[in-house]
Amino acid sequence: MTETSEAVARARAGDAEAWGEIYREMGPAIFRFCRRALPTREDAEDATMEIFSKLWEGKLSQYDATRSFSAWLYRVAANHCWDILRRRKIRQDKETEDVDDVPLEHPDPNQLDRLIEQKSSEEVRRALDKLGARARMALVLRYYSDMSYDEIADALGVRRAFVGVVLLRARHELRHALEGKSALAVGGTS
Amino acid sequence: MSEPANPVSQQGPGGTMEHLDEMTCLLYAERQLDRARAQAVSAHAQDCASCRTLLRALERESRLLTRAMLEVDEPMPSRLAQFQERARQSFGWIWGLVLGLAATGVYALYTFIIEPWQVRLEQAGFGGTSLLSLFIFQGAFWKGWQSMVPFLEILAMLTLAGFAAVIFRRRLRRGSAMALVLAGLCAALALPAPATATEFHKGETYELAKDQTVKSDLFITGARARIDGTVEGDVFFFGQSIDISGHVKGDAIMFAQSVRVNGQIDGNIRSFANNLTITGTVTRNVLTFNEVLNLDSAGKIDGSLTSFAQSVGIDGRVARDLMLMVGETTISGDVQGEVRAKGRSMSIASSAQISGPVHFEGDNPASVSSGAKLGSPVQFTKMKHESQYMEGHYYVWRVIWTAAFILLGLVLFLLLPKFAAETVSAGERFGAPVGLGVLVFFGVPIAAIIACITVVGIPLGVLTLGLWMLCLFTAELIVGTVVGNWILGKSADTWGLIGRMAMGFVIVRIVYTPLARLHVIGLLVGLGIWMWGMGSIALAIYNRLQPGAAPSTMSGSMPPVSLPPQTTVGGIQPA
Repeated sequence: MTETSEAVARARAGDAEAWGEIYREMGPAIFRFCRRALPTREDAEDATMEIFSKLWEGKLSQYDATRSFSAWLYRVAANHCWDILRRRKIRQDKETEDVDDVPLEHPDPNQLDRLIEQKSSEEVRRALDKLGARARMALVLRYYSDMSYDEIADALGVRRAFVGVVLLRARHELRHALEGKSALAVGGTS
Repeated sequence: MSEPANPVSQQGPGGTMEHLDEMTCLLYAERQLDRARAQAVSAHAQDCASCRTLLRALERESRLLTRAMLEVDEPMPSRLAQFQERARQSFGWIWGLVLGLAATGVYALYTFIIEPWQVRLEQAGFGGTSLLSLFIFQGAFWKGWQSMVPFLEILAMLTLAGFAAVIFRRRLRRGSAMALVLAGLCAALALPAPATATEFHKGETYELAKDQTVKSDLFITGARARIDGTVEGDVFFFGQSIDISGHVKGDAIMFAQSVRVNGQIDGNIRSFANNLTITGTVTRNVLTFNEVLNLDSAGKIDGSLTSFAQSVGIDGRVARDLMLMVGETTISGDVQGEVRAKGRSMSIASSAQISGPVHFEGDNPASVSSGAKLGSPVQFTKMKHESQYMEGHYYVWRVIWTAAFILLGLVLFLLLPKFAAETVSAGERFGAPVGLGVLVFFGVPIAAIIACITVVGIPLGVLTLGLWMLCLFTAELIVGTVVGNWILGKSADTWGLIGRMAMGFVIVRIVYTPLARLHVIGLLVGLGIWMWGMGSIALAIYNRLQPGAAPSTMSGSMPPVSLPPQTTVGGIQPA
C-alpha cells in the first residue's frame, strides 16, 4: 500500500491529519491539471479548492479503494472542470457538427516534424491556452492525466469511437495555434 | 511498395502513391488499433518513408504535449496551501463564540418578544396554544385552509414538477424540460375539480338579499358587497367596501377600504381595512389592522378586541379584553375585561365603564373623565423616546443579533453550499444583481398581493411573500460574504466561504450601524444592501434555471463520421 493509499484509508476513517497528507501529495498535480484545463489561473485555483472541498464533504466515500487513487482523483477533477466549462457555456458543441471535415489526409510529415522540432514546451503551453475548451480538455485528459479513450469518452460525454477524432482535431487546432495558419491541419499532402 | 491487408491507405495524387491517413496513424501511435490493423499499418510503414515519418512525428508530438503539460512552470499558489486546515483552525473559536451569542439571541427573542406576545394573545382570547397552531391550525387569520386544500395540492404538484425539471435538466434539453413542466401543469389542471364547500363571487358588486342563504363559505372579490342574508360558513372579502347587515355564522375575513358590520357575526372578525365600523354583534374576537376603528354604541363584541390602528373609538361593549397599539384611543363604552394600550393618547369619557385593570403606555397620562367607572386607576407608563443609540445595551443586542444572523448564514451555507457559492458569485457582478434586486424588492410583493387578490392564488402569494421575506433576511449575509471575498480573496471551500460571510457581515454591520442614524442615507444604504443581496439570490436562481448543454446531447447531435475501417473501439490493443 502506497503512502497516498494509506492516507486515503485514514482520511476515510475520519483522520483529519490524513487530509493534509492527501492535499500535500495531490494538490499540486490537481492544480496543474486545472491550470491546463481551465482558461485562467484564478479558475484553476478555485477549481482545485472546490475539488478538494468535494472530497472533504463526502466525495471520497465514492472512491473504490481497489483502484488507483490518483486516476480516480483526475477523473473527479476532469468532471469538475468540464462542469465549470459547461456552466459557462463555453463548451463548443458546434465542433461536432462539422465532424465530417475531419481530414483523412496524409499531412506533410516533414513539415509536421519541423514544427515539433522548433517549438518549446512553453510555446506549446501558450498555444494550448488558445484552444477551444473541448480540444484543450481532450489533450489534457490524454497527455497529462494519461486517461484511456474510454475514460476520455466518459469525461467528455462523447462516444468512444469519436475520441480519436476529437484528439486529432485538437492536435490540428494546436498546430494551427503554433503556426498561426491552418496549413498542417487541412493542407497536407495526400 | 506492399499494400496493407486492409484498405487503410489513401490514394495519393495522380494515383502514384498510397499513404496512411493521419487518423489511422494517430490511432496506431496511440495503440488503439486491433492487432490485424496494427500489423497492416506496421507493414506499410516499413516500406513507406513518408508514413514512417508521419508516425514518428505524431509520437514526438505526443511526447512534446506530455512534457509541456507535466512541466512545473509555476509554483502552487499560496492561498491553496493547506487551505482546509487553515480555515478550520482559524474559525474554530469564532464559531464557539457565535453559537454562544446566537443561543443568547434565541433565548432573548423568546423571553422578550415571543412569550410576552403569547401571553397577550392569550389574554386577548386566542387561547393558550402556540403561535404556530394559532396561525395555522386554529385558522385565526385564515380559516379557509381546508377549502384551499385542492389549490395546495395543485401547487404541490407544480412544485414537484418544477423540482423534477431542475433535477433532470442536465439530461434534458430545454424543450424537454419545458415539456415536462407543461405536462405536469396539464395533468394538474386536468384533474377533476374536487367538490368544494365554497361559493365564489367575482364582479363589480355582490349582494346577498335578506331572504337568501349561503350554506357554505363565501368568497367575494369585487368593488362592493352587501350581505343582508345569511351565510352559514365564513365570509372572505377582497375589495373596496363591504356592508354586513345580515347574519354570518362563521368568521369574517376582510381586506377592504371600508368595512361596516351592522348585523351579527357568530365567529371572529379579521380585518385589514381603512375603516371598520361595528354597530352589530360579534360573538367571538376581533383582530384589526385599520386606520380608523369605531365600535358604535350599539356595537357589541362578546370576545376580545385587538387593534393596530391610527384611531380607535370604543362606544359599545367589549365583553373581554382590549389590546391596542393605537395612536389615539377614546373609550366611552363598556369594557368588561382588561385594557392594555400603547399609543400617543388615551381618553376615557365619563360614560365609560371598565371592569378590569387599565395599562397605558404613552406620551402623556390618559385623560380620564370624572364620571368614568374604572375597576382600578389607570396604570400609566411614560413612553421612552431617547435615542437608542445612546444606550449601551443597544450595542450589546446588536452583537447578539449579529451572531444570530451569522448562525442563520452558517446553517443556510451548510444546507446549500453550492447555491450559496453561486449566489455570492452572482453578487460580485454588482450591476446585474442590484438591477434585478430593485425588480425583486418591489415587484415580488406586488405580484404576491395581486395573486392573493385573485383568491385562487392565495397560497402562492403567501408562499411568495414568505420566500421574499427569507431573501430579505439573508440579503445582508450575501453582501457580507461578497465583502469578505473582496478582503480575503475568493474561497471555493464552504467553510472558507462561511468564514468570509461572518467577517464580511460583521464589517457591513459596523459600517451600517452609524449610517443608519442618518435617516435618508441610512435608508438608502439599507435599501441598497437589501436590493443587492436579493438581486444576487434572484440571479443565482435565474442562472440555475438556465439549462446548459447536457453531455449526452453531444454524442446525440454528432453526425456519423467516417472512421478508418476496423478501428478498435472496445479497448487498447497492442500494436
